[in-house]
Amino acid sequence: MTKLKTTRRLFMTAATVSVVGLGQLGFGSSAWAADLKGGTLRVAITNDMTNYDPQQFSTVNFFLIKNLYDSLIEYSAEGEAMPSLATEWTIAEDNTSVSLKLRDDVTFHSGTPFDANALTATLEKAADPERGKNVYSTMSIVKDWTVDGDHALTISFIRPIPERQITDLLQFLLPIDPAAMDSLETMEGGTGAFMLGERQVGQSVTLVRNPNYWRADQPILDELQFTIFSEDAAAASALESGSVDLIYGGQSRSAVRLRNSGFNVLQGPGKLVQVFRINSTKAPFDNKQYRQAFNYLMNRAAILKVGYAGLGEVTALPWAPANPAFDASYTEKYAYNIDKAKELLAASGLSAEEMSNWKLLVNGSDEASTAISQVVQGSLKDAGIDIELDVRQGAEFIDALLTGGFHAVFGGVGNVQKFPSRVATNSIYRTAKNPVFGDPHPHPAYVEAIAKVDSSFGEDVQPAYDNLNAVLVDEAFAIPTNSYETGLIVASPKLDGFTLDIDNLFVGRTVGFK
Amino acid sequence: MNSLRFMLRTIRGLMARPGPALSLLYLTVVVLAAALAEVLPIDPFSQDFVMMLEGPSAAHWFGADELGRDILARVIYGARTSLVTAAGAVAIAGAIGIPMGLVAGFFGGWRDAVLMRIVDVMMALPAILFAMALIAVFGRSQGAALLAVGLTGVPGFARIVRAQVLTLRRRDFVVAVEAFGGTSGYNMFRTILPNSWSQILVQVVVLSSVAILLEAALAFLGVGVPPPTPSWGEMLRTGKSYLYEAPYYAVLPGIALTLTILSFDTIGRGLARILENPRDVAAAGGPT
Repeated sequence: MTKLKTTRRLFMTAATVSVVGLGQLGFGSSAWAADLKGGTLRVAITNDMTNYDPQQFSTVNFFLIKNLYDSLIEYSAEGEAMPSLATEWTIAEDNTSVSLKLRDDVTFHSGTPFDANALTATLEKAADPERGKNVYSTMSIVKDWTVDGDHALTISFIRPIPERQITDLLQFLLPIDPAAMDSLETMEGGTGAFMLGERQVGQSVTLVRNPNYWRADQPILDELQFTIFSEDAAAASALESGSVDLIYGGQSRSAVRLRNSGFNVLQGPGKLVQVFRINSTKAPFDNKQYRQAFNYLMNRAAILKVGYAGLGEVTALPWAPANPAFDASYTEKYAYNIDKAKELLAASGLSAEEMSNWKLLVNGSDEASTAISQVVQGSLKDAGIDIELDVRQGAEFIDALLTGGFHAVFGGVGNVQKFPSRVATNSIYRTAKNPVFGDPHPHPAYVEAIAKVDSSFGEDVQPAYDNLNAVLVDEAFAIPTNSYETGLIVASPKLDGFTLDIDNLFVGRTVGFK
Repeated sequence: MNSLRFMLRTIRGLMARPGPALSLLYLTVVVLAAALAEVLPIDPFSQDFVMMLEGPSAAHWFGADELGRDILARVIYGARTSLVTAAGAVAIAGAIGIPMGLVAGFFGGWRDAVLMRIVDVMMALPAILFAMALIAVFGRSQGAALLAVGLTGVPGFARIVRAQVLTLRRRDFVVAVEAFGGTSGYNMFRTILPNSWSQILVQVVVLSSVAILLEAALAFLGVGVPPPTPSWGEMLRTGKSYLYEAPYYAVLPGIALTLTILSFDTIGRGLARILENPRDVAAAGGPT
């Protein structure tokens, strides 16, 4: 077993943020818990949930996960790690393991105590390719784990792992009651501030407060009542009429309108980044200079305005500001510039006919994608590229998107606020078994840049990030345009105490009525 | 020459009634605008992000859409989409449905049974679902929308022509042609068909309004003509999302669509009245 040595900086960080975190995580924006009142919070959502498995991590379940479950650690909105179910995490000096100390005053909703043995059941599920679902790829760095005591456990890694990648893993692990492990399709098994009350399929989900919750004075609310509205406009009307207190996961355009009407709009750090995905295995995109021209052909400001009502930020890299590789200078350097694009197009050596011989795949079910695709179509026309849109619906679109059946397409990518190599969990950015490019990867420089990020420590870290950014725009197989909101919150002014989750999950435990 | 005289007298008959006359006038304007759109100083594709969702102004009489495109220009070009779809759909439906009805009604027996069961199956399927299924197979394009709408019109033509053939089949002038050695084909296409044109004409007008509505419905559901081609249904679909910010967005395409369908229906009803009234038929100089 690796000899562990406490990293002083990390320990201090954990201790400091546990205090600071009370302000950031525990009591949200401006009001203290004592000032807020309980009651029933009526929340409008636009999609029904699929199951209670936190490892599925499906967007439609975002309103439930952080209310039913707790993470081992949390991130502040700025991306700083803070204690949660794990009070301490000590990374070995050689970065090949992390030792956890767990809280000893936590029980699952069934009454089962939370301890290291219970945590191993969650780790086993996460490490199983069948059962681990979306957490499985993050667990790929884990070699094994050992229980060091009732409330202590060590996770070993397959190689030295950068600190941020380790905290990402801990933040992504939400312990599940071992007894509920096989019934997560229909029942929850968490330690969270709320417990499942009632569910009416396709209509509503009600959560009730957990009387034995381990965080003092939380939750403030007695009940969370989620009602499903099939139309975003209907949810907006319900908020305006006072039928609900909050909309979670609504559209940016309605949010802007409601903000202008006096409602509060809360934008979390867990944005998605819209990316113009290019299938570089198909002509004319197998021409590198032709692809690079697209760095300048994205009218990012117009895309943000048209598609997302201006909620978000323009970006030329697939990172949110909380990401350590975030570099704002790229946005300026690769701003919309038809002349520069034309220079690169001319240098590509392609004829006008060859340049226009492809279609832009469009998700017809998504209004924003349809609108921003038309923006790009217009920009390309200005540069002399005359293309058509290939609008497809539902499963037909998803199939083309995930199997590479396209020349180019817009698609959001997630995990942009965490460790940079986490971007490789998105299909277009995968370094191996990439569903669009196949194997071997046609952009070895990118694969090497990701590997370098994964294996850099100390003073080598920033150069590795810089190299990755340079490679991303040079290879130009994915052109980020803007960040946009997921899990957007529009709330009545009578609410306060919101906690902004790093993944934009809805956290109800600190919310209360003024 | 007879046909031209018949057409002119039919139009004159329509113009004598205020409803059909106004409708005819409106449709003439729409057809002219659609045909001459390229001559007009308008561009339905030009994007201006500064003007997006701006209300009516001197530059954009009916405002600008979410990409800053001129709504009036898109409505005028949208008329072209609707009319081309209507004309194409009628052509497809007529080209398939009329021969089906002629053969079924003229020969009867197993041919009638087989063809009418096919028609029954087509009629049993809701037109919108049938059209969506066809678009799912052929992909989203103006051609696919036109084909889908056209095929949904086949049963109507087949039924009407068959009924007309059954009425005329034993009439003396048809039997006489047979007695003089006229072939079945000659009898169907040269004897019976010319005497069925009045009913077919009404069906053409009625199907045109149905086709325009169906095309708009498909576009509204997101499976019609793909963007950025202007389409009234697509404009209604997108305008719906901006009802709060730009309530005028969906108004003009909505009015254009409503008036066009209303006009076709009014003309169809007027035609039916004229052609069913023996005095009016005689006045129109049509075949009796």
